[in-house]
Amino acid sequence: MEKNDVKSGVESVPHPRIYYYPGCSLMSTARDLGDSLFQMARLVGSWLEELKDWNCCGASPAHSVNQNYALLLAGRNLVLAERQGIRDLFVICPSCFVRLRTAEKTLIAEPDKNDLLEEAVGKRYQGSVRLRFFLEVGSASQMNVFREAVINPLKGLKGVLYFGCLLTRPEWITGFDVLPYEDELRSFVEALGVETLDWGYGKQCCGAHLALTKPDHVDTLVDRIRDHARRVGANCMISFCPLCQVNMELRGKNSEPLPVFYVSELIGMACRLPRTEKWIRKHLVDPRELLAEHNLL
Amino acid sequence: MVSIMQVDRSFIREVEERSGQRFGACFHCMACSGGCPVSDIMDYLPNQIVRMMQLGLRKEVLESRAIWVCVGCYSCVSQCPNRIHIPYMMDALRELALEEGVKIGEPDIWTFHREFLKQVDKRGRVYELEFMARYKLSTMSLFSDMGSGMKMLLNGRLELFPHTVKKLHEVRKIREVCYGKK
Repeated sequence: MEKNDVKSGVESVPHPRIYYYPGCSLMSTARDLGDSLFQMARLVGSWLEELKDWNCCGASPAHSVNQNYALLLAGRNLVLAERQGIRDLFVICPSCFVRLRTAEKTLIAEPDKNDLLEEAVGKRYQGSVRLRFFLEVGSASQMNVFREAVINPLKGLKGVLYFGCLLTRPEWITGFDVLPYEDELRSFVEALGVETLDWGYGKQCCGAHLALTKPDHVDTLVDRIRDHARRVGANCMISFCPLCQVNMELRGKNSEPLPVFYVSELIGMACRLPRTEKWIRKHLVDPRELLAEHNLL
Repeated sequence: MVSIMQVDRSFIREVEERSGQRFGACFHCMACSGGCPVSDIMDYLPNQIVRMMQLGLRKEVLESRAIWVCVGCYSCVSQCPNRIHIPYMMDALRELALEEGVKIGEPDIWTFHREFLKQVDKRGRVYELEFMARYKLSTMSLFSDMGSGMKMLLNGRLELFPHTVKKLHEVRKIREVCYGKK
């Protein structure tokens, strides 16, 4: 019977094609995120299509040392999307999202920067692409599809939402109204059966790329965050960013490890999407014991 | 009598120009420094950098470790009552430090950025496995942190084969436009 509900939900969505910008980590360090996202899209009957010939957005290193370089690397992707006739481009990684959004705003506001882009890739950015964060795939109606498809409510998981730095910050770039947006994410996670706990570390930086260059300091940052998660009684963390997820599972020395789930994985488990087992195994902190304990596997 | 307060304003003006910020608005309330997650490993706090620029201390600022340690988490921006974008200031300062060829305060972090961007230039995307190996080689830290690297590899978290952008010449051209021809 529940299965039928899933089907009717799927049929109400007209198989839209969703174009996305994967970013370098999606097929690599964030492979579990990638896998679960594809399954999630299938559930709403969407067709995921990659932005063709995308390039790295420049990440932290580009803007750290040459602002124009950062702008044009991100800008090329915008021009590609425009050439490919894409109206809505969904971005998976919050960091890529901020880079692309920043470029979009700058290119429109400063025509001389757009001149530079034209010099490099032979075309100006016209401003016709709407950049969106992947969770926006769930427009109100589609979020309901996920809600209705929950056949395995994740009872027993007590999670803290770890938004990370760039999910909503700064709001004049991301365009999100921070508090309502966070509330929405919280109620969505709760709809999957996860109990979310209040804590004060949801937007404390994980240390980002300093994990390689200053590992000791990143251990301290991660320990502080995880210690707080433990103190409020969490048995898992919920992350939205590939880099946060890796740092939170891999780093920290003086606090007991916690599995860190992407929100898409939670959807996958709650809706018993195929191949869940496959991405669950890719965690650096194995969540299977926790899941088995609550009969969620 | 010689005035001891001959402050060189050219430096701060240059940073204002490059970063699009107005540092005259800074109260030195230290909200940026208080919320900074990496201030523990900075030699100067973010608002101290602003003060040093106001005092014209070009060399001290450009050679500081603080400008390299900032990861751009935007926590300071959200907390600044005047919306001064400290991370944009840091971007501009690193850019200047590199252009002027001063001594780099955090050579390892600069190596990290450089190796990452070499990957971008080579393929248009980042091949994380090679990137990490090259970073380790050039900082002579090949065996530190080996455990976590192996763990990621064994869990299928590192891509084994690189992907390259088809129109790589476009990505190369971007570099040329931004850095001049090599």
